[in-house]
Amino acid sequence: MIPYLWIKAIHVAAVLIFIAGLFAQSVAVAAGRRGDRGTGALVSHWDRRVTVPAMLLVWLTGATIAVDGGWFASPWLWGKLAIVVALTALHGVQSGRLRRIRRGEQLRLRIAPEHTAIGIAVAAAIIAILVVAKPV
Amino acid sequence: MNRSVHFAPTADDVADIRRLRLASFAEATTLLALLLVAVPLKHAFGYSAGVRIIGPVHGAAFLAYIWTLIAASAGGGWTRSEIARMSLAAFVPFGGFLNAGLLRRKQASVVASLKERP
Repeated sequence: MIPYLWIKAIHVAAVLIFIAGLFAQSVAVAAGRRGDRGTGALVSHWDRRVTVPAMLLVWLTGATIAVDGGWFASPWLWGKLAIVVALTALHGVQSGRLRRIRRGEQLRLRIAPEHTAIGIAVAAAIIAILVVAKPV
Repeated sequence: MNRSVHFAPTADDVADIRRLRLASFAEATTLLALLLVAVPLKHAFGYSAGVRIIGPVHGAAFLAYIWTLIAASAGGGWTRSEIARMSLAAFVPFGGFLNAGLLRRKQASVVASLKERP
């Protein structure tokens, strides 16, 4: 049985790698819209090898910590969970966009990737506040 | 050629559909195991270990299916009705099995489209 603190440490490491992967995707989508398909290919490779496994670890270790610690009764966890679901969905959307860029399609987006990156930064900050300060 | 394939697919798209077929099958199978085996065992015989084990497994399979569906649909080549049908299937028992035909035809159509290209 892995000690609780080790699972927590693995969870934090996986979250950091996952968030970094989301930023990398946004930058690659922004680069792809400017005609740079090479960055998209590079980030897609990184995504498959590193970001997706990190995302799976985030969910696996996160669920273990929440069950072990009995955190499901705490409102902050549900706030965090909603944000993580949204970030997971965003990862899927950006993966699809990168594939379209590799295919040579010209993307028409309602929200610029630069603004998406701002959203990721805000989401990461809110997650940190919810988890560390537990205001609710 | 299938009307829905109105893009120039690559080998990545075939891999994507294969992943979606696998995720859909896993989601549907674990949901049935939960509803037809684990839940009756808990309520009829008070045996709750099944729900404790299959519940999280189905949760993981559901998330994997939804993520795969989002990634595939964001990659293009799917109609709105196909995406709506596959989204709905995640919430209905046997829904994932009903996806099997659609996904098999889609894969065949994309593979044929790849072969047609010089």
